[in-house]
Amino acid sequence: MLEVNDIVTAYGKIEALKGVDLAVSQGQVTCLLGPNGAGKTTLMMTIAGILRPKRGSIRFNGQDIAGKPARMIVEQGIVLVPENRLVFRDMTVEENLMAGAFSRSDGKTVQSDLEAMYERFPHLQERSTQYAGTLSGGEQQMLAISRALMARPRLLLMDEPSLGLAPLIVEDIFRIIRELNDEGMTVFVVEQNARMALQVADHFYLIEQGKVVFDGTPGEMEEDEVIKRAYLGKKI
Amino acid sequence: MDDHLIQVLSNIGMITFIALSAYVLLLTGEISFGQQAFFAISAYASGIATAMWGWSFWLGLLWGAGVAGFAAFLLAWPTLRMRGLYFAIGTLAFAEMVRLIFEVFHYQIEIDGEMVGPNGSEGFRGIRYIFENNISEFQYMMIIYALLASVLVFLFAIERTRVGAIFRMLGEDELLAEMQGVNRTYYKVMATVIAGLIAGIGGALFAHMNTYVEPKIFNVMLGVHSLAYGLIGGLGTALGPLIGVSLDIGLLESTRMFTGYRMVVFGGLVAILLIFRPRGLLDEEAVHAIRSAWRRKTPSTRQQSEIDAPD
Repeated sequence: MLEVNDIVTAYGKIEALKGVDLAVSQGQVTCLLGPNGAGKTTLMMTIAGILRPKRGSIRFNGQDIAGKPARMIVEQGIVLVPENRLVFRDMTVEENLMAGAFSRSDGKTVQSDLEAMYERFPHLQERSTQYAGTLSGGEQQMLAISRALMARPRLLLMDEPSLGLAPLIVEDIFRIIRELNDEGMTVFVVEQNARMALQVADHFYLIEQGKVVFDGTPGEMEEDEVIKRAYLGKKI
Repeated sequence: MDDHLIQVLSNIGMITFIALSAYVLLLTGEISFGQQAFFAISAYASGIATAMWGWSFWLGLLWGAGVAGFAAFLLAWPTLRMRGLYFAIGTLAFAEMVRLIFEVFHYQIEIDGEMVGPNGSEGFRGIRYIFENNISEFQYMMIIYALLASVLVFLFAIERTRVGAIFRMLGEDELLAEMQGVNRTYYKVMATVIAGLIAGIGGALFAHMNTYVEPKIFNVMLGVHSLAYGLIGGLGTALGPLIGVSLDIGLLESTRMFTGYRMVVFGGLVAILLIFRPRGLLDEEAVHAIRSAWRRKTPSTRQQSEIDAPD
């Protein structure tokens, strides 16, 4: 579904991605692991069209989308749940959700999608007129995910959805990822919590210093000595 | 109506245009110190049109606002990539440039044995359209407020539509807005042009009320004030800048309550508000609270409006 070929993205002269190759298959949950500064967020931003790659191609369903502006990529059906800057803080929960549907032109179904989001996340309905900035971290993450879903993505990109959240909330988020995947959503998720990721991911990539250094199934990953030590701890 | 009162109210009305102009940009998250440039451009352009080319007032006003809007469109491109402080400096530099150009701008023609037109730092005298056409001060005040009301209605309408939501998204987080599929360039240029047009309307009104403009009127203090009005009155609704202007001109300048200390009081007011209400008296939360209270009080009208607007 998504093929990333030899992508190089640079901040000035410093190359954060030094030729990344990876692929996301339709209907699967693909997980990208890697230490801080490896280029995970840079890759997500590049796919989403926020950063422009210096070189390489990104093909989505056969079409090259590398270097296209973000709005065109959203229209193609790739939506990013960004890290940290999750919600429009001074807008209400409902306004945030509607913001997610901006790229859509089918006004009537937006309303029913909004109701579907409230059904999936009852918390958000209770708080629909509250300012998003007043929500807890977990609720903001839920809001960010449902806002992304409001765009009816074909591929959902998630940049460290568990960052800074309590273990119970993290479990919630991974439960949602699995639910979405069961409903047919393709998900590409950046995650540091490899143990949680093992429960949902169909395929793993490990990126270090701007390059993919491992590529395999969960089973292959669990057998890899280096990954076992660095990302899974000794218990496994 | 008392002449002094008419004058004060007219002043409030005219200055509100430039405050609204700064407010539109504040909505999109940009602080401009240069909206006085568009006020000035339109004051000159409309004055030239009516006093020198013999155009009617309304045509002159349209022309003045149009020229200001076009200048804003041109300015939008180089400032598009500037954020925060850099945008503020960029717009300030532009406004000073415009002011200095008017300092050396000579374009005069002879009308009835008298030289009319901009004469550099001497200013531009004889923009007498409304006096020659017997429009009373009261009538002119009504014209100002009719135009102000239209601009306010326009801004209220914008705030309720998709465009308003996009402006606020851009104001909060440009990158996150882009991730939702917002065409940032398009909407930022749009906001700059709308701001330029609004300041332009005010500038044309100003020139015709005073019959005389000179470059130093459009100095940076006018820009600073126009920003401060929005910040005092509140950024939650387009009424905020009007409240800010009314407080400053209506209360401080006109009542002579604080003769000689006006700027001290004004500056103090800004400082206090920045601490206690950083987004003004009528900020988003106040507006939100008022709206919810209104809805609770009148549940039937709310349902009605929901039926009317099925989006």
